[in-house]
Amino acid sequence: MPDVIAWVDEIAPEQAVGACGAKMGRLAELLPTGVSLPKGFTVTVEAYRRHWAHAGLDDVVDAALGGLGPDAGPAEVEAAANAVRAELASQDISAELAALIGDAYEELSSRCFEINVPTAVRSSAIGEDSGTASFAGIFDTYLGVSGPDRVLEAVRQCWVSLFNTRAVAYRLRAGLHHRDMPMAVGVIELIHARASGVAFSAHPVTGKTDRIVIETSWGWGEAVVQGLVTPDHVEVGKADGRVLKYQVAAKTVVSNFDYAVGRVVETAMPARLVDRRVLDDEQIAAVVDAVLTVERHYGYPVDVEWVLDRHRREGEPVCVVQARPVTVTAPAREPTPTEWNPAAMAAKYVFRS
Amino acid sequence: MATVIPVDEFITDEWYPGFKPGYTHAPWYIDPVQTFRKQDEENFWFLDFHWPRGLTPMGLIWNEDGYNWASQLAAEQMPLPPGRGITCRLGGTHTYGSPLPVTDVREIGQRARRLERALPPFLQNFDTIWGDMREEVNESWDYFRGVDLSKLSLEDLRENLIQARQYHKRAFEIHFQVMYPLLANYVGFYSMCTELGLDPGQIGKFLQGYDTKIMETDRELWRLTTAARAAGLEPVFAAHEADGIWAALAAQGGAASTWLTTFDDFLQVYGWRTEGSCDVALPSWIEDPTPALGTIKTFLQKQTEHDFEAARNAAVEEREAAVDAARSTLTLEEQKLFDGGLASCRAANFPWWQDDHNYYIDLRISLPMVWACQAIADRVGAGHSDDTLYLFWEEIMDVSAGRRPYAGLRGLVEERKQYFDYWLQRRPTLPKVVGTIPESVNDPILIEIFGLNSHFLRAVEAVSSGGQVKTLTGVPASKGTGRGTARILHNADELHRLSPGEVLVCESTSPNWTPAFAKIAACVCDGGGTLSHAAIVGREYGVPTVTAVGLATMVIADGDEVEVDGTTGRVTVLKQAVANQAVLNPGAGRG
Repeated sequence: MPDVIAWVDEIAPEQAVGACGAKMGRLAELLPTGVSLPKGFTVTVEAYRRHWAHAGLDDVVDAALGGLGPDAGPAEVEAAANAVRAELASQDISAELAALIGDAYEELSSRCFEINVPTAVRSSAIGEDSGTASFAGIFDTYLGVSGPDRVLEAVRQCWVSLFNTRAVAYRLRAGLHHRDMPMAVGVIELIHARASGVAFSAHPVTGKTDRIVIETSWGWGEAVVQGLVTPDHVEVGKADGRVLKYQVAAKTVVSNFDYAVGRVVETAMPARLVDRRVLDDEQIAAVVDAVLTVERHYGYPVDVEWVLDRHRREGEPVCVVQARPVTVTAPAREPTPTEWNPAAMAAKYVFRS
Repeated sequence: MATVIPVDEFITDEWYPGFKPGYTHAPWYIDPVQTFRKQDEENFWFLDFHWPRGLTPMGLIWNEDGYNWASQLAAEQMPLPPGRGITCRLGGTHTYGSPLPVTDVREIGQRARRLERALPPFLQNFDTIWGDMREEVNESWDYFRGVDLSKLSLEDLRENLIQARQYHKRAFEIHFQVMYPLLANYVGFYSMCTELGLDPGQIGKFLQGYDTKIMETDRELWRLTTAARAAGLEPVFAAHEADGIWAALAAQGGAASTWLTTFDDFLQVYGWRTEGSCDVALPSWIEDPTPALGTIKTFLQKQTEHDFEAARNAAVEEREAAVDAARSTLTLEEQKLFDGGLASCRAANFPWWQDDHNYYIDLRISLPMVWACQAIADRVGAGHSDDTLYLFWEEIMDVSAGRRPYAGLRGLVEERKQYFDYWLQRRPTLPKVVGTIPESVNDPILIEIFGLNSHFLRAVEAVSSGGQVKTLTGVPASKGTGRGTARILHNADELHRLSPGEVLVCESTSPNWTPAFAKIAACVCDGGGTLSHAAIVGREYGVPTVTAVGLATMVIADGDEVEVDGTTGRVTVLKQAVANQAVLNPGAGRG
């Protein structure tokens, strides 16, 4: 019988996506590349299925959603999704499953030399970032969750988020059944972020693959990922790692860890950090190194979410917390010329015909 | 619905007296020179800035041999894939140009392939090619300089005029054969740089700082200014209008005479040039040194001298810094492309050639024709030596062959002078464009030299549909901001009206306007792209310049206080001259 818990550094890479969902599976896949990954485990698809069977939810969901077609109105969808979520939220996780998750969490704390280590609890559904469907940002993520009870509750909220209104609507339109995308949940140590960000190994707008684009801000990456802050924008030449462009943005919001609440929250950026450049050249090189390693692994352009640990020393890697091959690239473009060809340039730019 | 500006005012015009409009008396390659016909409204025509005074009958030879022969021929020889060069129509004495598009997709493809084969060797061998062409032009120039026209019979003068026209025609074949490929290469490079994310305001700098023959002339004018100041001649220049300075200096003797000797030496080298571009109606500085003396007069008004060495070194430094800064933002792959394009554009440097060629071609190539026409005028007893410039080619051929007595044309010449003057007066209010305004134009000469970019086309549309214009925008051609009193000049004869620190506002500039850049605060042109004369010289002299503004000469009034931002391309009218307020705010002042 498959395990309900899969450690990032223990699961066989070829089984990772099937057992751990897209997000956590891809992370585990990167283990052989040697990039720095956070410690953590996944509450697997199997765990989700057991919970599902234990709570007997099939009937509930079928009753609520069965009648909805691809053309269902927004109000109808919302009502149905609310009904499902209310039902799911009232179902306790079985004692057996809760104990397994609790044990894993304690093991994680121990591996991190901490008691009640703060974690990031992330939804990781099967197929959530497939080529045809993108559920980016639709499912829940909780940052800074500590203590077994809170972790358990966060896992359950992630499961419930499979039925949030946007996800239900999206599946209806795409003709997907919720059983096609069971929800695994990752529980990983919360890296204490000095800075974090995203990095693309191809230009997200032009699609050109000769430069790496990095967007970054102080603290955790939530504010960057959710677009709450305008990040510093960095472009680096892929062939020689030279910084081609560094635009320092006015960063007015920061995601930081609120010790009183035990969560990562968004607050105003301290004045002295608003206009300060986030990454120096050495740190940029570390981000580039991680991105290129991930790109080599997949063989095509990737985007990577990374964190710079506040205890990181010069020469050490940055930590990759999410990676995704970019299979849907920018619109097909003509091949980039490699040599100056005056007639071709004139044809392209002067005699647009 | 496309905007159509009617051509009716030109159709109803009787045209030059005694000559049948639309009659063409020269071979053309694709389309002949004609006066406007109603069906021309289907095409797009722009007022050509080269001849702000209009053209005399003999001056129209440029249209025939330049646009309708040489540009059309060049566009076929090194084919422009979508265009067959430029044709023109005459609105009174004024020239409107138009592109001749190729529309057949198959043919465009074939022309593109021909261009692909022909362009690289041309660019790689540009130095040799241009050198040979220059030598050819110079050799003929020496020939015409060496002929003593006073010793020729009327029949031989006729033969000399035919030779001179052939020389003129050949020079413009060379002109367009070089201009199209150089420009195509440059625009390709410029556009690629823009696509690589480089700042368009920086791209023009990559090719600056190379000396041209025209800059050499300016440098000598400054040397003469310094000498005049040292000789204590400043009061003489200050006390006289430009056309009275020579006589005043000659009358003074002493140091003034010595200076005039130096000035004559200068003229022998640099004075074989007209004051405007390729117009037989213009004298050379040798015949009339007023423009050169006027320039020195205005230079003297400027207390600090223009340091050419420093300006050139600064331009070179700025060039190298701009290239380094640009390269640092490019990936290795992009650098390879950029370096290739830059090397190609440096080996065949369009902005440099665009200034340099004027010395060898545009400013002097019509002089042998003028000399022959004048000699014929003297020989046939015309009242004034320029009278033959008011004859059409067939007429002067007949007169000089003795087939037709000049006396019978005398009255016509007078009428034609009046006709010329009538249209000269109308120039400032002529429509800048007529016919059907297109979505876009894709002849590189029309885009970059005439500034017929989409901004210009949209501005013209806005104004012809009654829109109000207060802040004007154009192409940011030379960075920086400058503020001052606007001087609206319609041709270079008026340059003496410019005082130091003022803002030059004009249709466009040509090399004879260059000296003005040493003293103006900013420059605004109706036409012109980043490669027009004003743009290039503006950058060399560090004068904020905005081109392709569209209607600056109409919207800005002489005396207006204006601010010119050459970095953003914005021109703001800060304080309107009183007379102009009614134009800008038609409702104001009526209550």
